[in-house]
Amino acid sequence: MATTERPEPTPKNIGPKNPAVQAGMGVVDYVDDRTGVTTGAKWFMFRNIPRGTSWFQTLGFTAMAVFGMQAITGIMLAMYYKPETTTAHASIAHITNDVTWGWLVRGMHKWGASVMIVIVFLHMGRVFIWGAYKYPRELTWLTGALLLFMTMMMGLTGYLLVWDQKAYWATVVAVNITSQAPIVGPYLGNILRGGPEFGPDTLSRFYSIHMLLIPGGIATFMAIHLFLVSKLGIAEPPWSKRRLALERDEEDAKRRAASERIPFGRTPVPAGQPAPDPVRVEADS
Amino acid sequence: MEYEHTSGAPSESTELGHYQGPRAADPEIPADHSDDPGYQTRTRFLTMVAVAMGGVMTAAILVPVIGFAVADSVQEEDWRWVDVGPYSDFKEGSTTSLSVTGPSPEADRRVFLRNRDKELLAIWNRCAHLGCPTKYSAGSDGYVCPCHGGAYDSRGLVTAGPPPRPLDRLDVKIVDAKGRRVPYEAARPVDRVLVGKAYSIDAQERPFKLHPPGDPVDGTLSYLFPFIP
Repeated sequence: MATTERPEPTPKNIGPKNPAVQAGMGVVDYVDDRTGVTTGAKWFMFRNIPRGTSWFQTLGFTAMAVFGMQAITGIMLAMYYKPETTTAHASIAHITNDVTWGWLVRGMHKWGASVMIVIVFLHMGRVFIWGAYKYPRELTWLTGALLLFMTMMMGLTGYLLVWDQKAYWATVVAVNITSQAPIVGPYLGNILRGGPEFGPDTLSRFYSIHMLLIPGGIATFMAIHLFLVSKLGIAEPPWSKRRLALERDEEDAKRRAASERIPFGRTPVPAGQPAPDPVRVEADS
Repeated sequence: MEYEHTSGAPSESTELGHYQGPRAADPEIPADHSDDPGYQTRTRFLTMVAVAMGGVMTAAILVPVIGFAVADSVQEEDWRWVDVGPYSDFKEGSTTSLSVTGPSPEADRRVFLRNRDKELLAIWNRCAHLGCPTKYSAGSDGYVCPCHGGAYDSRGLVTAGPPPRPLDRLDVKIVDAKGRRVPYEAARPVDRVLVGKAYSIDAQERPFKLHPPGDPVDGTLSYLFPFIP
């Protein structure tokens, strides 16, 4: 049920002469006619960014790239890992010692976990110091906070999977700390453990949370986070002259409003109400 | 520019002056019951049905799944009386370390049977701070935890460190060959020692329901949690 007319085919006498390039463009055009994907990609990729955007703004992408590495190495490690109390540690020893490049992939996953925590905190510190969490980007910060929580949960659940004495007791302590939360704490601890004590169910439960539940949540909230970043644009750095002038104007207006005892806000004043700005009141009258 | 009024009919002032041309009569708005917010139209009814059906279908999936994932986890641990040997194995004045099978062999769950001061105590080795395994040290005649330095005396009462309450205990009883309970003073070497349900104690050794590690059994917080139904 075609409701859209087909576009005119591109004439042969214009455009690139290279047949390989022509074929490639043909594929892109075919997909674009049916999805509009280039519009979306341009909207996402080619945004205007404020003066003063620097390497510090690349930390968010770095966190995403490290997450990608964790996902890929994790999927591969799951091909050899056996999540049972009797086989878990032996299978990890097998990965590390016997499987070709197993030491490398496991090392990437293990150290990548630490790298991800570090990068995520640096990213959060950058956003905090730049003041990029302010209006209208509060929800970007909120989804980022959820992503931080889920990243930490990945660290907790992944640490147990090694199933050696250090992993076991460190996670026992961490889950018992979770049980300290008022009212819901004991429930949360029991739900995490799958019962009152660590056992075989705990290992498979942590494995499921680590490789299915939280990665799905991270992917979802990362998509929302990226959409918001793309929609709202990158915040100007705090030393931006334009931003400083805007903030100074706002402060001035706020102070003037306070001295005149009239309401001040971002939203326009509804019709029939006195305008908040005394300058504008004089101009209108 | 001035326009003269040609009749007494009311005219409107616009930016261009007074309009006096023909006017469209205000059409009479037909009464439509769908404009009444209280009237149930087919669209409103079907929207409500669709939302309700979606809710029912979502619940039909989520309720069993969440119950499956959670319900068994929040039950209390099973327990039973376990025969740990004849009374002659636990000499007067000794503290014996027993391995107790829990759900996980890594848990290193142990019970220390303390037969002293005319009393038989079964002390659980789970630290009351955050659940690490404590170790009995005969030299200091007390229990020490390797994780955060919690220390207990030989009865399991806190002497140092962060634990908020003494070590948990297990019910213990001595029974004769016919399974009848024997008081401590009348125990013979052939009588059997049985270890049972775990419970928590406060600093005065009063028994309380078993608490998870880290929770005090007395004070205001103990009324807030654990909120075990």
